[in-house]
Amino acid sequence: MDIAVLIKQSLDVQELRVDQDTGKIYVEDAPTKAGDIDLNAAEEAVRLKERLGGKAVALMLSTWGSSGRRQKEAREALTRVLAMGLDEAVLIMGEGAERADTYVVAKALAREIGNRFQLVLAGEGSEDNFSGLLPARLAAELGWPYVAYATSLEVEGDVATVTRSLEDFEEVVKVKLPAVISVTQEINKPRVPKLMEIVKARKKPMDAKNFSSSEEPKVRIRELRVPKVERKRVIIEGDKDEAAEKLIQALKEEGVI
Amino acid sequence: MRILVFSHYPDLAAELVSAGSGLGDVSLLATSDMREAVSGIKGAREILICEGVESGDQETLVELISGLASDFDVILLSGDRRGRELVGQVAHRVGGSSAVDASGLSVSGGNLIVERMTFGGKAIAVEELALPAVVSVQKGKFKPLEEGEPSIREISPPSMERRIQVVERREKPKVGVPLDKADIVVAVGRGFRRKEDLKLAYDLADVLGGVVGATRPVAADLKWMDEEVWIGISGVRISPKLLIVVGASGQQQFAAGIMDSKVVVAINNDPKAPIFEQSDYGVVMDLYEFLPVLTEKLRKLKGV
Ligand SMILES: Cc1cc2nc3c(=O)[nH]c(=O)nc-3n(C[C@H](O)[C@H](O)[C@H](O)COP(=O)(O)OP(=O)(O)OC[C@H]3O[C@@H](n4cnc5c(N)ncnc54)[C@H](O)[C@@H]3O)c2cc1C
Repeated sequence: MDIAVLIKQSLDVQELRVDQDTGKIYVEDAPTKAGDIDLNAAEEAVRLKERLGGKAVALMLSTWGSSGRRQKEAREALTRVLAMGLDEAVLIMGEGAERADTYVVAKALAREIGNRFQLVLAGEGSEDNFSGLLPARLAAELGWPYVAYATSLEVEGDVATVTRSLEDFEEVVKVKLPAVISVTQEINKPRVPKLMEIVKARKKPMDAKNFSSSEEPKVRIRELRVPKVERKRVIIEGDKDEAAEKLIQALKEEGVI
Repeated sequence: MRILVFSHYPDLAAELVSAGSGLGDVSLLATSDMREAVSGIKGAREILICEGVESGDQETLVELISGLASDFDVILLSGDRRGRELVGQVAHRVGGSSAVDASGLSVSGGNLIVERMTFGGKAIAVEELALPAVVSVQKGKFKPLEEGEPSIREISPPSMERRIQVVERREKPKVGVPLDKADIVVAVGRGFRRKEDLKLAYDLADVLGGVVGATRPVAADLKWMDEEVWIGISGVRISPKLLIVVGASGQQQFAAGIMDSKVVVAINNDPKAPIFEQSDYGVVMDLYEFLPVLTEKLRKLKGV
């Protein structure tokens, strides 16, 4: 069984700087990386492949433009998942990809997937946008069933058994392959590749493809702004008794206790 | 504009009707097992009841909603996990645009304008969506309407081959006071070394009359809480008067869930922890030393 794993080049939101006063968001300065939950999807693909044989391939459509830095980051992100044990990577980038929304990206990825794979794995949401729209759209484009929020996954023949976590209950479902399945962070602990594995991963096939699409995006970002959160950021000093008393005093003055 | 709304949760369905009524005429969809539950919802023009489909059957719901979509400009779904699971599938099936977790909706120039959080809560995006648009709406942003008796229309289920079969459902324990309704929350993170140690946080919450919430790893990975509920972008957003964050680093995905809190206190032994940036009052100390003292002093103060 061959598995495709969707790896998003996500903005590292922890590193993203925003200026509350000017409202500026320093998107260009922030680094990008493979999303954390994408690593869970990669780990699950490696485990399945080790048990069932076949290939596991990382697919990335980079929407951050083709500057040298963003290209390098995209390759680094893919090298990381190759070092975890994926066999190959496909990196799609180029003119027009910056404007692509989930509609356009799903179409482009579906063309790449065709009937080459029996299973597509993705994270339940990306690190920087957390919409979870892409795997759902991809399933619809391919005409495959979609199961989200997997916390465990078994495959036997052409049936996957998925335990998934919803707000009120856990659900066990059986789904006929081919299918698209998205995973949560709880499904596994992604292995951390050793230096040797990273060196070796640089020799694994990474197929660079040119983005081309005739579809027009359906979503346009009109504006990005910084939410106003005013915090006092007072650090309370002193030993534990003093600190506790000062804190209680402050909370009394705030009128919250 | 014609708006179709659906949620598995009647209280969220009522919020969606309210959100949709700001845009146009609302039709509320329900499966027959939800007939009773939605009967009190006001403000929709009509309620469409589909016989023979069970609300837990996501695959058929995708088919059903996509099939109805040609009569509508906007489809609103709720922001819970099953709601979000539907958004992308339905949007793609109808060749439409999509967005999740909208906190604001309006119409301009033939497009739907959606406001939503992005970049893990560091930014608000204003997006223009071409019609038809399929959007999930953030919980708690729209107040259920009090007037408008809808008519009822029965519709027939789609016929289709199903590829997903639900074989088992295990209920999760129910939350006492929901985190998003609590006035005082003590939020615990991985700074606690053992499950038993959470007693320190429960004691503090008890004296204050508050509830205990957790970061995602504590609730979902370590499963240290009785119920699997966490605070953050992939869990619940809270808006208490007082939030005390103990032993949590304040990573952006957690921080996004606490922005609407009135006063935030952080207790963490790492002075560089990002949570201090998100707090009004910070105490840089070992929680094991500080919490018992704080709880004891509060107990004396409150005389409990
Ligand atoms: C797409 C995505 C969505 C996510 N959604 C969520 C979400 O909704 N909610 C969520 O919580 N997380 C979410 N996460 C995970 C998030 O990024 C963080 O990993 C998580 O919030 C960290 O939890 P924590 O603070 O408990 O643990 P850690 O980051 O490990 O922090 C533990 C903290 O405890 C402090 N500490 C340790 N010992 C002590 C002591 N003795 N006394 C005092 N302090 C101590 C440490 O200094 C540290 O700051 C998401 C991640 C991704 C990628």
